[in-house]
Parts: sequence; C-alpha cells; structure tokens
Amino acid sequence: MASEPMDLLQGTLDVLVLRALRLGPMHGYAVSRWIRERTDGVLEIEDAPLYKALHRLEQAGHVAAEWGFSENNRRARFYRLTPDGRRQLKDEEAAWRRYAAAVFKVLEPA
Amino acid sequence: MRRFFQLPWRTRQQIRADVDDELSFHLDMRIDALVASGMSRDEARAQAIREFGDIDDARRYIRAVDHDIEAARRRSDYMNDLRSDIVYAVRKLRGSPMFTLTAVLTLALGIGANTAIFSVVNGVLLKPLPFPQQDRLVRIQFRQQGHGDASTPPDLADFRTRARGFDGFSHFEGYTANLVREHAEPERLVGAEVSANWFSLLRVRPLHGRFFSVGEDSPSAPQVVVLSEPLWRRDFAADPAIVGKQLQINAQLMTVVGIAPDGQGYPMSAELWVPTRFSARDLSDATRGARWLGMLGRVKDGMPLETAKAEVEGIEKQMEGLFPEQFKERRARAIQLQTAIVGDLQRPLYVIMAAVAVVLLIACANVANLMLVRATARESEMAIRTALGAGRSRLVRQLVTESMLLSIVGAAAGVAFAKWGMGVLIAMAPADLPRVKTAAIDGTALAVTAGAALVIGLLFGVLPAVQTSAGDLANALRAGARGARTRRQANRTKRFIVAAEVALAVTLLTGAGLLIRSFRELMAVNPGFQPDHIMTMRVLLPGKTYDTLPKIASFARQLESRAAALPGVRAAALGNAVPLDGTSFWLTFVVRGSAPVRPSDQPSASIRTVTPNYFTVLGTPLLRGRAFAADDRVNAPRVAIVNQTFVKRFMANEDPIGKYVEIGWTIDGVRQGGQIVGVVGDVRDDALNADVDPTFYLPFDQTPVEGIVITARTAAPPASITSALRGVVRDLDPTLPVYDVQTMEQHVAASVSRQRFYATLLGVFATVALVLAAVGLYGVIAYAVSQRTHELGVRVALGATGTRISRMVIGEGVILTAAGVLVGLVASLGGARIIAKLLYNVKSSDPVTFVGVALLLGVVAACASYIPARRAARVDPLVAMRGD
Repeated sequence: MASEPMDLLQGTLDVLVLRALRLGPMHGYAVSRWIRERTDGVLEIEDAPLYKALHRLEQAGHVAAEWGFSENNRRARFYRLTPDGRRQLKDEEAAWRRYAAAVFKVLEPA
Repeated sequence: MRRFFQLPWRTRQQIRADVDDELSFHLDMRIDALVASGMSRDEARAQAIREFGDIDDARRYIRAVDHDIEAARRRSDYMNDLRSDIVYAVRKLRGSPMFTLTAVLTLALGIGANTAIFSVVNGVLLKPLPFPQQDRLVRIQFRQQGHGDASTPPDLADFRTRARGFDGFSHFEGYTANLVREHAEPERLVGAEVSANWFSLLRVRPLHGRFFSVGEDSPSAPQVVVLSEPLWRRDFAADPAIVGKQLQINAQLMTVVGIAPDGQGYPMSAELWVPTRFSARDLSDATRGARWLGMLGRVKDGMPLETAKAEVEGIEKQMEGLFPEQFKERRARAIQLQTAIVGDLQRPLYVIMAAVAVVLLIACANVANLMLVRATARESEMAIRTALGAGRSRLVRQLVTESMLLSIVGAAAGVAFAKWGMGVLIAMAPADLPRVKTAAIDGTALAVTAGAALVIGLLFGVLPAVQTSAGDLANALRAGARGARTRRQANRTKRFIVAAEVALAVTLLTGAGLLIRSFRELMAVNPGFQPDHIMTMRVLLPGKTYDTLPKIASFARQLESRAAALPGVRAAALGNAVPLDGTSFWLTFVVRGSAPVRPSDQPSASIRTVTPNYFTVLGTPLLRGRAFAADDRVNAPRVAIVNQTFVKRFMANEDPIGKYVEIGWTIDGVRQGGQIVGVVGDVRDDALNADVDPTFYLPFDQTPVEGIVITARTAAPPASITSALRGVVRDLDPTLPVYDVQTMEQHVAASVSRQRFYATLLGVFATVALVLAAVGLYGVIAYAVSQRTHELGVRVALGATGTRISRMVIGEGVILTAAGVLVGLVASLGGARIIAKLLYNVKSSDPVTFVGVALLLGVVAACASYIPARRAARVDPLVAMRGD
C-alpha cells in the first residue's frame, strides 16, 4: 500500500452502499466486502458505520430489507435498491462526478 | 410502496433479536473467511471485531432506527386500512342509497333538533352571564305576602352598613328614556336607574370614558348617562367623541360619561344607565313601606355563598327587630343572579331538552333497526370475508367505519338543519325569554353534537357486529340453514326496539297533548274584553315639559279627540295601561265610613285610570250604574268604577254604588279616590291564567298620569290606522316617541307566548316522534313479512284466506304497539307530573289526553302494518315456496 488509508468524507458512505446494491440484493457482509475490494483499501471503512448507513437508508426508503438465506445457508438480512434509492444513487453519482471534475480542473497543470 | 398483504409488525424484542442476528452473521462470515486464509480462529475474531469498529454504538443506533421504521409502518398500515375501510364503506353505502338516505336523514333530524334546542338552552340557561366572577353576584329578594320581591331605599343602606361578607350592594330599577336628537325621530329607550357603584359591582370596564363615580347618585350632582355599545353604534355611529357631550333625554340635558361594552344588557336589556337619585326623604324611614327597587350584591371572593346567604337572612331579622311593623312576615334571601334571571324557565326548558333527546333516541332506534336488517342481509358477505382471513376485529372495524361515516354525515347535515332551526326557534321564542336573541350554535353545542355523533356511530357499528358474530358464522355460509337461530334473535331485538320506540313516542305525545290542551283551555278563557279590531300605542310625557296636571290633561284631551276623529276609528280612549300589557299597579284603600283599620291591614286593589270611552273601546260590559262621562272633570265630584271581583271581595253584602273609596295615592296634596258610580265586568289584566284582580278605575281627567296608552277600536283591520295614529301624536308634540305599538290581539298573543312556545315545540317533537315510530313499525313488520314469505305461502297453500293472513300481520303490529303504548302510558303518568306546573285547567293525568294518545297510536300502528299486511295477503304460494 502506497500510503495510509484515508478517512471517509461525510455522506460518501451512503453513495457507496447504494452503488454496491445496484449489483443486486445482497447482505451487509457482501456490501462491506465489495466496497473494500473496489477501493483497494484506500478508504478506511469500518463496518459499524456501514450497517448504520444501511438501516438509515432503509428508513429513508432508499433500500428495502428482507430476511433470506446466504450462500452457506444461514439466515441473513438482504438489502435491495428501491426505485427511490435508484434515483437517489443517480443524483448523488452525478453530484460526485461534478465535484470531482471541478477539483481535478483546479489541480490540473494550467 | 403498497404491499398487497401486511407484514406482521415487529415487537421491541424481535427487533433486538434481528439486529443481533444480522451483526453476528457478519462477524461469523468474516471470521470464517479469515480462518480460511490461514489465520487462527482467535486472531480472526480479533481482526473481525477490529474491522467492525464500535459495535455497541452501531447496535444501539440500528435498534433505534428500526424501531422508528416499525412505528412508521404501523401508522401507514393503519392509515391504509382506514382509507380502504372508508372507500369500502362509501361504496357499500352508495350501493344502497335508500338505506343511506333514510339513515342519514333520520340522524340529521334527531341530531339537528338536539343541536338547536341545546344551543337555545345553553344560551338561555347554562352560559354564564358576561360578568367576571358572575357566580358571586346575588339578587337580594324580599318576599312578602301580597308584594313582589322589591326593596326600599333604606334597605340598601341597611345592607351596606351591616353586611360583612359582601363587596357591595347596588339598587336597580327600570327606566324609560325619551331620547330626542336633531334630524331624527324621537326614540323611546329602555334603560335602568342604578346606584353609582353598579358597574364596579359587576366588574365591567367601560369601552370608552368612565362609569359613574361616587356621589353621582345624589340629587344635587350633575345629570350623567352611560350608553350601551349597541345604542352608541346605532344612534351615534360609534363616535368616541360623544363622551362628554350632552344628550336631551326626558326633556333634560344629560352628559354622556361612558360607553358600556355590548352584552351588558342587564337589567332588563338596558340600553342606557342613569344613576338613581334619592332625596333625603327617600332614604328616611318613612319610605320603608314603598318597595320598588331591585337589589344586587356581590359576595366577597373566598366567602362561601351559603355563609353570605345566611348573613342576608340574619340582617333581615335584625331589621325586623327595629321595624316590626314594616318587616312583618317579610323574608329576605339571596339568590345567585343567574338562577334569579332564569327563574321559572328552568323546568320547561329542561322538559323541552328531554323531549328532543327522546326524539333522538327514537331516531337512533330506527337507524339501529335499519342497521340490524342490513347486518342480517350481509351475513353471507361477512362470512365470506371471515373465510378469506379477515379477523373479527377487522370486521367490527369495517362496520364501525360504516356507521361512523353515517353518523358523521348525519351530524353534519344535522348542524345545517340546526342552523335553520335556530332561526325559526329564535323568531318563535317569547320576547321575554332572557338572552334568547344571542343564543347561537357555539363551540359547546358543536362539541355536544360531535360527542353524540361519536357515541351513535360506535354504538351502531358495534351492535350489528355483536349481533352478527353472536351466531355461528359458518352457519350463515351453509346453504339453506340461513342462520335461523341468529335471525330469530335479531328479530326479537328489532321488535323490542320498536316497542321501546312506541313507548317513547307515547310519552312525548301525552306531554304535548297535555300542553296543547292546556293552551286551548287558556285561549278559551274569556278575557273580559273583545280583543279584535283594537290598536294600542304608548307615549310617555316627560315630567320636565308636562309638569302640571292641567298640561297633561289638556294634551290627553286633544290626543283622544283627534284620535277618535280619524277615519276608520269607531272609538278612542286613553288609559294608564291596557289588559295583558304587563303593567299593573296596586294601592291600599279605605272605604269612607267603615271601621278604621291599621295601615298595615288595609286591603289593596289594582288601580287603573281611564277615559270615559275605555270600556266601549275594549268591549267590557257595564253591569251596574254608569260609565265615566265627559263631565267627570277635575272640579267635578270625584267618581270611580269598580269591577265585579272588587265587589265580590270587599262589598259582597252591600250596594257598592254610592260608596266613597279613598286610595293611598296623593297628587298635588289631594288624596285620590272617588264615589263608586258603576260596576264593570271582570277583565283579565295580568294574564289569562291568573285570577282577576279586584280593580278600581278612576277617570283620567281627575287622575291624569304621564304614561298613556292610546286605544282605538277600528272598523278596518287595526294595523291600518297605525301611521295615522302616530301622526296625531307627532302633530301634538314632535319630541314624543311612540312605542309599544300593538293590536290588542298581539297583546293577548304575547301574554301566552311562553305557553304557545312550549306547546308548539313539544307538539312538533311529538309529531316527529310519531312519524319515526310509525316508520320503524312499518319497517319491522314489512321485513318480517318478507322473511316469512315461505311460511305464508305454506299457510295459503293449506287454505288460509288473504283476509286471515293480513289480519294476522296487522295483529302482530298492533300487539307490538300495544306493549309499547302500555309501557309508554305508565311512564307518562310519572312524566306528566313534571309538567303539571305548566298546565292550566288540565290535570296531569287528563284521561282525554291519555286515551286519545292510545287510540292515535292504535290507528297509526294499524296503518303502518296495513301495507305489509296487504302484501302478505297477496302471497302466491307457488312462487313463495319455489323462491326459497
């Protein structure tokens, strides 16, 4: 690893969770693994805030939860995107891209 | 998102377990993965926990969030259920428009009538008077045989110096004001003369200016007046600058010192107030016998009312010790002001309220029966819904939603109906019903209405639900069985309800019947005069302008002769009063030459002063001697006429003609009275249902008075001469307001307006009750017939004739009714005693009324059963038996 892991920006976790669920319904553990793999450990993500985010998103109606069975046949709570959540992801993704592009524009050598 | 089925709600424990499961699943998965990559189990656990972060915080947070999610779900599920219940109920109700319309209209009638009557009773009886701490205000009344309950000027001083438990006392009496303004008709206003502390006793604050200050009720103080807000708005365009200006009232200049806020029209709907001005003589012991003042007191805050009342009685005892002659048999008592104002209205108004509540009960009974019929018809619907998994509570909720919807719509329609009804009620109410003009459907009334609607809605929802689920629901599903047991039970309930309805209607009908018969008795009373074709109006000559007797007499002579000369007038006369106008004036008298009696034992009689034509105009017969003549002038020998009752009471065994009577009234130093020259027939001067007063008439010319009633007998309808008669007054004195313009028939009507009001209201309610009961009876019989088509078919097939069948059906209705009538009549015997005091010449157990009501209901019951009976008689046995 090239450097120390970075702290997560406020509100970033929600968009990451929503993005993970775009792949399809998954349980919290799978969401956690998928995000860690995608970020190559650059972002320091603990599981506690991740679960908090999942339930918060459920309350906001962006995701829906249901009990099901995992690949190894254990009872697990599965989350999936609701149409509301899909819209929310699209909006936040666009916002992120605009934000990043603006930052890049500043950093780019003139 | 809409779910098609409901997830069960999670409890607090379930949430806790779910959260624990979810988190331990995560940790287990992570540990397994790490172990698989070669870590020891302990190391793996430590790393998984490290990676997770603050697990306890997460657990707490998630539980809280899940709890909120669950609560929100519960709410939205509830709202969804409610919405679908309502949608379903609306669809169901619209599906049977006749049922819905009947139920809503019946409820609207019952609830609306109750709202209207409650609003009136609330406005008149219950709503507190508009004075701060009004429950501490008391009327001090002095009861003495043969006198009213008024007090004397020295009484006020006595109570002010002796009472410890009171903040103060104040006198009040009626006051009539002739207000003359530029460019306006002279106006006659009703006001009050009050002690200077009046408004501070009531704790009212002036809208503008000030109220009376101490000492303004002394005769030497400048003349001041307080105007009421309504008068100030009406006559002075609500101009605050009127304060400090002078007005011409009763031919004197009075300075306006303040404006009293609206709603303070006490006493006697006063529109202006002036201070009483007692002279030293008024306040001396010499006036202890002259009682004409009302007295008001305010009990000190914190002083128990009972203590204050006892103190009033104690002071009266002390005074009796000092002045045994005047206080003999006089009793003082303190009554809360509101009770004193309401007085004898309480009983009749509560009777009316009870009557209208009975109407609501009957309306409810009808709707209950409708609901029961409906519930029976819906047994299979309910059974199917149960089979599909609807719980019992869900079904009850559905039924309650339906009935609540009905009762809410009924109540809303009822309030609209009540609004209209209030207008009718207030227009119809007797003018002397206090505060009735301001009665309105207010928050209290609406709350009562809403409460009634709620109770009714719940009751009607639960009742058929209980009825339905009481029987075996599965039974209802089974073809052919048709829940026979349930049905029989339901029919029994319906019959019971109808019989109860009939009983209730009977009580109302007997009550109304008694009041109506009493009213007819009252109207059949011979008043002692012929009230048709008589116009009357009043003027009051201000003492400032008409300060001598010749001035009054000359005005009166011109007034009478000009009035008599008007086209269409057959005869005109003047007097100090006319019968039934609410004024009467009693004085003691002595017959010259009879044995002397102590002043306190002297007999008294009603005194009236009239012009010669008075008896002609009224149509009161002269029985003996002669009437007054034009020659009975001031300087002629003094004469008098008495009525029959006077003769019977005081001169039963002697010839009244020629006796000289002196009365306790002195004008300009001359003791009034005269030699009896004639006897006239009795006239009911006070009320049609009151005993005739012994009456002593004096000729107007010899005893002129400032308050004059003009009476004119006309050829055409009396109202046609009103403006001409007013013109006569205006020509003589343009500053004189004319008031109390009424025909004699209107005076008669006004004198019985309370009795008419009670009888009309109860009559209307009884009629509504009768109609509702008839409809209810019809409904139950018709339903029973339709249920028994099969059985009737069998009977016809076995040879029963149509007549026999219809007689059987009618008999059933009559038996139901007879049971109700019997119970109702017994209840009425008790109930009628409550209204016995309101009856005139009719016993509360009047057999005519009771038998009449029983017969009426018998006829109505027969009619209500006749239609279904005819249908039953035409049952075709083939169709009936196949149809099942």
